[in-house]
Amino acid sequence: MNLYSLYFKFIMISAKASEMSFWERIKPPVDISTNGHLIDSLFNLTTYLILFFFVLVCLGLFGFSYLYHKKKHPVALYVHGTSRKHIAIVVAIATLVFVVIDMQITGISNHDYMEVFTKWPKEDAEVVKVEVLGQQWAWNFRYAGKDGIFNTEDDIVTLNDLRLPTNKKIVFQVTAKDVIHSFSLPNTRQKIDAMPGRVSKMWVELTKTGNYEVACAQICGTFHYRMQAKLKVYTPEEFQKWQDEMSYRTTYAVEKENADLYWGWKWIANN
Amino acid sequence: MAFFEQHIHDAPKTFLSKYVISFDHKVIAKQFLWYGIIFLGIGGMMALMIRWTLAFPGEPFPVIGHFLFPNTNGVVPPDTYAMLFTLHGTIMIFYAITPILIGAFGNFCIPLMIGARDMVFPTLNMLSFWLAFLSAVLLLASLFTPLGGAAGGWVSYPTLSTTIGSPGVGQTLWCLAIFVLGVSSTMGAVNYIATIITLRAPGMGYFDMPLTVWGLWLTAILNALFLPVLGAGVMLLIFDRVFGTTFFLAGAAATSGSGDPVLFQHVFWIFGHPEVYILILPAWGIVSDLLSFFARKPAFGARSTALSMTSITILSTVVYGHHMYTTQMSPLLTQSFMMLTMTISIPSAVFFANWLGTIWKGAIRFSTPMLFSLGVVFVFGLGGLTGLYLATVSTDLYLHDTYFVVGHFHYTMAASVLLGGFAGTYFWFPKMFGRMMNETLGKIHFWISMLGLNGIFMGMMIVGYAGMHRRIYNPFVYEYLQKLIPINMFITISAITMGFGQLFFVYNFVNSLWNGPKASQNPWEVGTLEWTIPSPAPHYNFDIIPVVKCGPHEIGNPNLKGRDFQYQTEELA
Repeated sequence: MNLYSLYFKFIMISAKASEMSFWERIKPPVDISTNGHLIDSLFNLTTYLILFFFVLVCLGLFGFSYLYHKKKHPVALYVHGTSRKHIAIVVAIATLVFVVIDMQITGISNHDYMEVFTKWPKEDAEVVKVEVLGQQWAWNFRYAGKDGIFNTEDDIVTLNDLRLPTNKKIVFQVTAKDVIHSFSLPNTRQKIDAMPGRVSKMWVELTKTGNYEVACAQICGTFHYRMQAKLKVYTPEEFQKWQDEMSYRTTYAVEKENADLYWGWKWIANN
Repeated sequence: MAFFEQHIHDAPKTFLSKYVISFDHKVIAKQFLWYGIIFLGIGGMMALMIRWTLAFPGEPFPVIGHFLFPNTNGVVPPDTYAMLFTLHGTIMIFYAITPILIGAFGNFCIPLMIGARDMVFPTLNMLSFWLAFLSAVLLLASLFTPLGGAAGGWVSYPTLSTTIGSPGVGQTLWCLAIFVLGVSSTMGAVNYIATIITLRAPGMGYFDMPLTVWGLWLTAILNALFLPVLGAGVMLLIFDRVFGTTFFLAGAAATSGSGDPVLFQHVFWIFGHPEVYILILPAWGIVSDLLSFFARKPAFGARSTALSMTSITILSTVVYGHHMYTTQMSPLLTQSFMMLTMTISIPSAVFFANWLGTIWKGAIRFSTPMLFSLGVVFVFGLGGLTGLYLATVSTDLYLHDTYFVVGHFHYTMAASVLLGGFAGTYFWFPKMFGRMMNETLGKIHFWISMLGLNGIFMGMMIVGYAGMHRRIYNPFVYEYLQKLIPINMFITISAITMGFGQLFFVYNFVNSLWNGPKASQNPWEVGTLEWTIPSPAPHYNFDIIPVVKCGPHEIGNPNLKGRDFQYQTEELA
């Protein structure tokens, strides 16, 4: 590579850069879940609140720097900021920050976390259960299959290929074989660590069909960046069809004696 | 306050005793300064390689790429990339910022600012530097082991950092290096705490100490309490790696018994969260002082600034869980950590208000140290406020392990600390070396750094919000990240700009050592004790231990005649 070709490449990319507006470009991936908007809206609210305070800081910083430059304002005011008035102002600012920002976003976040993201759905027949096993550097997924019991012969097992239906609650139980990974679904705004020796849980409900990506968010070695799975979201009918087809194929195609296939665990029921 | 006589010995004569095995706090400070600046250069170079890879995946790194990575035609390979970000983090935190802010300024400022002739334990001080040196040797040696250096991230979570994920000797040497450095920093910290408690000049109460000393003192307390925790953690990790224990092994990885990898995360972050305050507290202290010195008026609410720094120090020890939201702790813990984390914004708001109160109605002199201090207010404002997204658990579910986190902690730990460190360097250079640094070059350095680092870290937060995970060699294997290529290029160009900007500093620093104009005793016209003695500070600092009669920020008092500041040794006008 020489500098010229790099310059050329840069020009090409700059030209490409104008294809999409900046605001379009920095948008997070499309939200395909019922609850992702909670995170997005809390993010936006936090942005407005901190922008307000950051503007205040900047007004003070740049405003005072301009007004009280030694040429404009040669004699400084001799105050220690210990008068009652000054203390009251400082306390008021601190209280304002705490009440206006902290209490708001903590309250919302706490509500969302307790009442939505860790409010585990009742595990009836309607719930789709998936076991997720992270390993260097791939994602294994396991569906219970026809009998509804995990780690049996009729399980559907896929590698880096996650298929899910819309309009159904989906519960993942996640663990890892070797090192810590993090099961991340950017399109639902959620992730959960996959840790050896522990089973962690996450639930989502999807709204949009299509092809998306699953990422590993926790550094897990050299090819961490390749630890990527595809997510295909079906309508419930299509999903049922896929499951039936997979069950059929599993019955014939899988060597039942291969012990490596039985990495699953008995589903850990809620409470 | 001195509990005992501070003896004066003859100045050392030989090169070895004067510059190498020195017991003099000022020489040790300079040793730490050089050590830190060299590692800042190495860590910065690593950052540029990381940035290059993210913006131009598959392109050879310019100029030195072919020499460093001959097997891949100059392209950074993925395993080296992992080593680079691991060592970038490790080096910047433990080998650049810690030595400069704590090692150099701590050693230099504490005795001078509290009116002492040296640290209370000079031998411990000397050992502290040479252990840090040993640690650096261990760390650099790890790069030359067969499988290369540590590559598990600076947090080195097991089981990736055990032999399961990193079989090489490099990771073991990394652990050992961190352990030795922990011992070194603990020695320094104990020394600082003892010095500040016992050797304050007569008449100097705790609230008569400059806020720089407050910052360094609180940092030292946190260091002394929490570095041993990290030491214990990496020692257990060494046991797991070398002696076959299973403290942190679980699942299929554990052959016998079973430990818990998450245990290490708890141990690490019990240390790790105070660590970010360990790094920032000295910078806060320096900035609180410098704003007052250059606004030519007393620090606004100095006592409340000191107390809010203290309360942050205390709070910092009980919030570490927010680093681990995605490990799915008990929801009760999650709630508690979220609430506790939020309370940190109260003391933060207090000293922000105090900083702005300090420059309000001042007569501001925009010298280089002042520009850097104002820069800290700006970048720490951004860094602190963006922490709120990460403190709330639900937004953290999305932002955890993305570049948003990287941008946030670089604003607080890199940008603020670096700018604070530069402010301190420009400010105390005359007292350290007896010469002035060039103001024009300093201002150019400031503006380039400011533009560069805001470009980098704001860009990082933007790509993080767009979903780009951290520590990814080539983010563009993900389709949803491909639109971020131009922004990543912008970040990299900002980083290169910032890198070149530092050449102004290096040139200015080295050139001023020999050619800078001779500094007067008190070039900045401030009243703290180090400015009552000649520049550079003489052997054993003070002929006669000064007696303190007023606070450190008595500037702009209308009763003063002839000058607008008074020394701490003078009765309040």
